[in-house]
Amino acid sequence: MATTSVLTPLKTRRDGIFSTRLAGGRAPMTPSPKTPRTQAVVPEPSESIHHGNANLISRFSRSVSKTNVRDSPKSNIATRPSRGSPRRVEQALSDYTLTGTAPRPSTASSAKNTPSRSRGSRAGSAHRTPKRTQSKVNYTAADRFIPNRNASEAITSTGAAVKLGENDHTPGRRPKSSASDGSAALAAGAASAFDFGRPQHTSSTSDAAASLSLEGLRLNDNNEDDEDEAPRSKASPNTVAYQQSVAEACGVSIKQRILAFKPAPPESSRPIDLRSQYNRPLKPAAASASQFRRRVLTAPERVLDAPGLVDDYYLNLLDWSSGNQVAIGLERNVYVWSAESGSVHSLLECPSDTYIASVKWSGDGAYVAAGLGTGEVQIWDVEEQTKLRSMHGHDTRVSVMGWNKHLLSTGARSGLVFNHDVRIAQHKVAELVSHTSEVCGLEWRADGAQLATGGNDNLVSIWDARQLTAPKFQKTNHKAAIKALAWCPWQSNLLATGGGSHDRHIHFWNTTSGARVNSIDTGSQVTSLRWSMGYKELVSSSGFPDNSLSIWSYPTLVKNIEIPAHESRVLHSALSPDGQMLATAAADESLKFWKVFEKKAGSGNLVGGGSGASAKAGLTKATTIR
Amino acid sequence: MPSAMPPPSSREDKSKTHKLALKGSSKTIVEFFDFACNTILFQRGVYPPEDFTTVKKYGLPMMTSCDDQVKAYIKKIMHQLSRWMQKSKISKLVIVITSKETGEHVERWQFDVNVFSDASKSKAASAGPADKENSAPAEEGATAEQKTDDVVQKEIQALFRQITGSVTFLPMLDGNCTFNVLVYADADSEVPLEWGDSDAKEVKNAEKVMLRSFSTNNHRIDTVVSYRLAE
Repeated sequence: MATTSVLTPLKTRRDGIFSTRLAGGRAPMTPSPKTPRTQAVVPEPSESIHHGNANLISRFSRSVSKTNVRDSPKSNIATRPSRGSPRRVEQALSDYTLTGTAPRPSTASSAKNTPSRSRGSRAGSAHRTPKRTQSKVNYTAADRFIPNRNASEAITSTGAAVKLGENDHTPGRRPKSSASDGSAALAAGAASAFDFGRPQHTSSTSDAAASLSLEGLRLNDNNEDDEDEAPRSKASPNTVAYQQSVAEACGVSIKQRILAFKPAPPESSRPIDLRSQYNRPLKPAAASASQFRRRVLTAPERVLDAPGLVDDYYLNLLDWSSGNQVAIGLERNVYVWSAESGSVHSLLECPSDTYIASVKWSGDGAYVAAGLGTGEVQIWDVEEQTKLRSMHGHDTRVSVMGWNKHLLSTGARSGLVFNHDVRIAQHKVAELVSHTSEVCGLEWRADGAQLATGGNDNLVSIWDARQLTAPKFQKTNHKAAIKALAWCPWQSNLLATGGGSHDRHIHFWNTTSGARVNSIDTGSQVTSLRWSMGYKELVSSSGFPDNSLSIWSYPTLVKNIEIPAHESRVLHSALSPDGQMLATAAADESLKFWKVFEKKAGSGNLVGGGSGASAKAGLTKATTIR
Repeated sequence: MPSAMPPPSSREDKSKTHKLALKGSSKTIVEFFDFACNTILFQRGVYPPEDFTTVKKYGLPMMTSCDDQVKAYIKKIMHQLSRWMQKSKISKLVIVITSKETGEHVERWQFDVNVFSDASKSKAASAGPADKENSAPAEEGATAEQKTDDVVQKEIQALFRQITGSVTFLPMLDGNCTFNVLVYADADSEVPLEWGDSDAKEVKNAEKVMLRSFSTNNHRIDTVVSYRLAE
């Protein structure tokens, strides 16, 4: 193998010899620029060598060490080991080299060194006698160990090694030779070494020089203990010639390199079982991908005029009953529009000095509560179109109300919330004190166990129905008034709350622990929130600047669609009893109906039946509006 | 695919026509690599199926990744590839699938690129102007008489059918794999920082199956898949 010969030159190069040959004044320690260019492929089938020298060398060294250096063709060339010097026992040498190099701190790997040395021993032995003269020179160069620092830093391994070996033989020689001489000799040696692999053009002298240097190395091996070894260990990068010879020896083209795209590929989001992939149904079933997102009708089913609708965010003027009737407060009147028949009638008209501030259907759809600007609350029987009673207590406008069976909760501008038992004369049964500013959002949980209120003081209060003296939780995360409140129909302790124009967020709360579980920045004032009963979605209505309806998936919080709904801000919304239709009233004085949660055939409601409105909703046939 | 360059006219000298033809052909090849890469990632379960969308190509529904990171990764590779291809620096493109757990290379898709010599191109100069309605790259016009784009597309289609069909004989992968792209480039190629020398990443104890080949007027692609034999 050419390898051994190749290696030797590396070391010589250290001495600075190479400079003459390769790069002139280049510092010895720096890798030669040429090396990276050429590549050789190792004969081993599975591995190819990339251009890095180190790889090549290590490969070779490995193979060499295993196989035993002897086999290399060069050894033959070098001639036989018959040599005068007793020291070189070739076997012993190789062993030494292996062991000796390892301990050395030097940069090059031990493996690299070994082959070179062994090879050196062979070659060296043959040429020995003639070299001696030259070898002296080498020693001088090697002097770096001892006194002679004048030799360039390059002195390093080979030179040193040679010298040491020589020292053993003839100590006296050193002084004679100059460092430069030594380097020259080494260089010649290196050249010859290269040539060994191929047909040689080198002169006999160079050969001799090479052999000398090699010998020197050899000697070193013997003297392992010496400091020499450290320098040896550095293997210098190969020359082009070297690589070519290697490549030729291996029968591989050096014209090609294998390149890998180094950045790691992105991680797969999950392990994939191909079996399920191959067996998947022809029609993608439940699809997570966006292309399978459900379609939402973006055109309103119907548009009604709502003249005189007060443009006031804090009021709650729209509600849809379980009996499929829509009540809306327009200035001083409450109108009831029957979705079944499409007929409309005025239910009540309040005194001219005030206005309707809120309307709310009772759970059974038989009664409408109307909150007035004066703080009075009236309860009307819709069938009979008669007022059942008036309840007083608030001295400011009642802007929000909520039914829980026979209990009516009313929130007023004062920040007070009263619970009224509408059946009894002393109707006020509880006073809920937490808000310091107008209460504009109020929602009972479907089972009546919890009540959520939101106010203009940016506060969300969550009350336990059994303990109304103080709120169970008070949430201050919103940065604006909270009008939009909605309880999740399929997870009873999940509450969604939406904030006003300075807040624009929807927060989701676990009302058992009080923790905020999710948030959405909607980018506009949230005026109302409604959960779907058929999909894991909720719809929010927006005020400035979007005036739109947005449908969000929960819990992914992905916005499925945004419908530009009105020309000015959407003030109120209400869901039909079957949960498919959404009514919205906006400051543009129109009332629009949207089929945003249209049921797919055969799909049931997420909520089997709760109390109040939803229970009844389950029973009603699909809502029709005329 | 949009044809970026005007079809060479018959008056153009041979050398120019050849350049254009080579460029167009390279484009076809790189595009093929792009789809092949996506198809393999999908078919071999390197990424989950929901990360892929279907596009029509070569008369087939082709799966391409819609994951931004994967897309960007492949795009980077293809960008460099097209540079090399136009200079005919590439002799092989290899996609190696590696098990994440053991680090073993379990599957290796090798596409050998053969560039035809100039001689075959001499005829090209005499070809008439290309059919402008045709979506094929410019090379097609010049060499229409040799091989129409339709024929090339058909060959590619057949190859993709074969790649897709290969899942029937390829061993099951455990679904926890990653992949690497190698190229065999000429030693004098310009190598950007992101590319580095590598070993061949051969599959140990592999069985090889030669798939179909296809050729454009300038290139021929041979496909070999090697995979680990079941123990």
